[in-house]
Amino acid sequence: MLDISFSKSALPKTGALVLLVDDHLTADLLPATDEATGGAISRAFAAAEFKGKAGTTCVILAPGAGLSRVVAVGIGKADALTGKIAEEAGGHAVVHLNRDAAATVAAGGLTVELAAHVALGAALRSYRFDRYRTTEKAEDKPKLAKLAVLAASPAKAKEAWVPLKAIADGVVLTRDLVSEPANILNPAEMADRCRALESLGLKVEVLGPKELTKLGFGALLGVSQGSANEPRVVVMQWHGLSGEPVKPKKGAKAEPRPQPVAFIGKGVTFDTGGISIKPAGGMEDMKWDMAGAGAVVGLMAALAGRRAKVDAVGIVGLVENMPSGTAMRPGDVVKSYSGQTIEVLNTDAEGRLVLADVLAYCAATYNPRFMVDLATLTGAMIVSLGHEYGGFFSNDDTLAQQLHAAGEATGELLWRLPLADAYDKQLKSDIADMKNITGRPGSAITAAQFIKRFVGSTTWAHLDVAGVVWSTKDAATTPKGATAYGVRLLDRLVADHYEG
Amino acid sequence: MTQRLVLPRIRIGASAPKAAARVLPVLAGHVPPDCQEAARAGGFSGAAGTACDILGPTGRKLLVGLGAAPNEDAHRLAGALAASRLNKVGRIAIDATALLPDNAAAFALGAALRAWRPDGFQTIPDPDGPSLAAIDLLSTAPGIEAAWQRAAAVLAGSCLARDLVTEPSASLTPQGFIDRLAPLEKAGVQITVLRRRDLEREGLGCLLAVGRGSEHRPRLVILRLPGAIETQPIAFVGKGITFDTGGICIKPADRMWEMRADMAGAAACAGVMLTLALRGSPAPAVAILALAENAIGEDSYRPGDVLTSFSGKTVEVVDTDAEGRLVLADALAYAASRLRPAAIVDLATLTGSIVTALGHEMAGLFTNDPALAAHVAAAGAQTGERAWRMPISAVQRSDLDSDIADLRHCLSGRLQPDACHAAAFLREFVGDTPWVHLDIAGVESRETADDAHAHGATGFGVRLLDRLVSLRFEDPHQA
Repeated sequence: MLDISFSKSALPKTGALVLLVDDHLTADLLPATDEATGGAISRAFAAAEFKGKAGTTCVILAPGAGLSRVVAVGIGKADALTGKIAEEAGGHAVVHLNRDAAATVAAGGLTVELAAHVALGAALRSYRFDRYRTTEKAEDKPKLAKLAVLAASPAKAKEAWVPLKAIADGVVLTRDLVSEPANILNPAEMADRCRALESLGLKVEVLGPKELTKLGFGALLGVSQGSANEPRVVVMQWHGLSGEPVKPKKGAKAEPRPQPVAFIGKGVTFDTGGISIKPAGGMEDMKWDMAGAGAVVGLMAALAGRRAKVDAVGIVGLVENMPSGTAMRPGDVVKSYSGQTIEVLNTDAEGRLVLADVLAYCAATYNPRFMVDLATLTGAMIVSLGHEYGGFFSNDDTLAQQLHAAGEATGELLWRLPLADAYDKQLKSDIADMKNITGRPGSAITAAQFIKRFVGSTTWAHLDVAGVVWSTKDAATTPKGATAYGVRLLDRLVADHYEG
Repeated sequence: MTQRLVLPRIRIGASAPKAAARVLPVLAGHVPPDCQEAARAGGFSGAAGTACDILGPTGRKLLVGLGAAPNEDAHRLAGALAASRLNKVGRIAIDATALLPDNAAAFALGAALRAWRPDGFQTIPDPDGPSLAAIDLLSTAPGIEAAWQRAAAVLAGSCLARDLVTEPSASLTPQGFIDRLAPLEKAGVQITVLRRRDLEREGLGCLLAVGRGSEHRPRLVILRLPGAIETQPIAFVGKGITFDTGGICIKPADRMWEMRADMAGAAACAGVMLTLALRGSPAPAVAILALAENAIGEDSYRPGDVLTSFSGKTVEVVDTDAEGRLVLADALAYAASRLRPAAIVDLATLTGSIVTALGHEMAGLFTNDPALAAHVAAAGAQTGERAWRMPISAVQRSDLDSDIADLRHCLSGRLQPDACHAAAFLREFVGDTPWVHLDIAGVESRETADDAHAHGATGFGVRLLDRLVSLRFEDPHQA
């Protein structure tokens, strides 16, 4: 990730300079830069009709005074500047900074918080997953490694940056996990990468096939049984509120500890569909069928990284869904952790089987305040809402409102969809407690109804993120590819309502 | 071919000597003493959605559960359950002596709507088929007549909509639809019809293009009720594609027969106008029906064509099977500019996308006015015609940018949020008028009957819109 530092506002001697220009064409260091370059900046603004509108940029190459380039980024109305606009400005800026190893952002005119958000936007947009590019020429690689942010008070800006950096680190971790191909990132490998988060102070427990069999994760094991790659369930605990970790004992009387908040992720490291195999076209996208789990891992890293004052548990169900001689068949009946039986009519509706066991286990073992699950669950969600909103369902209006607000604040938008008995009825099976698919109509809703049968009375929300975890277009703070949708959203949910 | 759609007769009275079965609504935990033994044996305690059929020495009695604190719509649902259980009894009596008039009327309305049958085209009688033909509503409560008059108006409007949706497209052409609006005229609705030359003169280029492939020419129908309040009218706009082949972008053969129902939005608009007229609503109301057949012909419009809409905006046609939003675009713009309505609600069987999103239980609701949307959603919740709010995002609007016209009307490719795209498209034609779009694809008919629904056309929208008018548009002080 970009190396970000903060210092006092002063015109740099070399390298690239970013000016954050409002709609009155005022900006920190703008007069000084313009003077040092003999008016080159204001001439360029006039020639390019640059008006400081948010989202616009004006790049001036070699303007003089030793600078390689000046990148002017519009921030619109100065008094309407939000963290989101500041982040987007940082994101727009770094796109033009690939040719310099070091660059400076003049953010002395902003509050220290907003200056830190500019840094966050720059860090998020400069992400690149290039570990498998072995023949790329050095001159084709982006060079930018260091970004100095000039702030009114560097020390205070750095203080504001520390938690944001933890969030950025979480986002990068998630994007890496989601971007990794499935021959590298199988359940065991992903569990190892979770284990590495112990260095942040997370308590990490990995359940393998033996433990899962003993615990009775029959639905999750059914999904995994066709793959040579063994399943894992990883439990990550952060005790930012209560201190030392607890070892939960099933049946034992719980100590008077704060109830943790819980996040559950679907982690199908590759989804062929199983025996109900998917069509070949687009199947490569199924490497990101673990993006829900990826977001939970990044979120837990962010919470630990910023020492969030909360007790949180993150659980990811990691499996690979393969067709083979040992694979689960359409028509099989599996017994879930909760004891409820499921008739599997389509092996490609596997995510809900994984979630069913993990959610029921979480509710029974950790007595959480709430559970939020994230899953790339249904194509129906993409047909419902497209690629701007994650769809969500909840049995609790307060949690739903909090989630919606966190989405608005972070730009990871959510839209609520309904739950109702009429949908639940469609899950009726002739030979088991339920079947795992319904027809196409309302199928994202019926998937949510299925999951709801495993959460009991726990406060819960289900986020179907199939349309938002992978992007085919660059956005201001998200290069195309893995978006890490969910990390910032849920971090914000915790920060706004569940800390302290 | 003559059509004979079946709806039971309703009679209000104090007794029903000819009824073959008696229906008794029961509050949870309030089973009458003389039925308690049978109720216990049948596991019945009055819970909503349950019933207990007692064949006693004094005749057949059906206990129907109302639940603990039933609202009006719970009574409608209980009535539907009664009719679904007794649909092979020729004449039933509903003992509503313990119910408030509005609840009694809702119960009877539910029973009648559930007893409606779309078998008017069958010439071979089915001796084992449903035969419920008459309902006696037993109540002597003051106000029962007035309450039933209101419910009967809703029943008439719903059944008009259902009958229109049920009728095959061979006879229910655009002109055939208009021919069936006689009951509205009789009830005091003013009817204006714009024919081809009028449409050309007015410049409804999108509606004309969609109807061009068919020998049954398109029509725009304006229904007006002046009301008693001096204010701007509420406007309903309905998609009325009397048959949708898809046009040049032809649909697959399987299930194409369902496309005779692609005028359900227009049918609901006509239905609610009948309801409002019959119950003498004081609210001024207008409805615009955009009627066309989307056929394949030598003069059909093509993918890639650019149309000039009534609003003046140009539209690039991507898929001729997304024709509903084209006819609505002209109808909405016409409504907004010519009728100056206080608000517009349009209804359309518009997208498969909304069926994928919400299934058959709720309509999709899109809006440019959250307050109006809240009223529409509330009206839907109160009448059991539920609508769920869906988004229109900035990206979904920019997805509609065209290379050669002001707008394209949809996107190609699978996995598109087409319902949202359609709504984003329609919004371009309503200007500043407060507007709600209800995508009713998926709720306009039921494939199978159940306790709550008859098989076939539902008339979705009539109850909702009627309630919307009484909730928001009948208060002269708010106008």
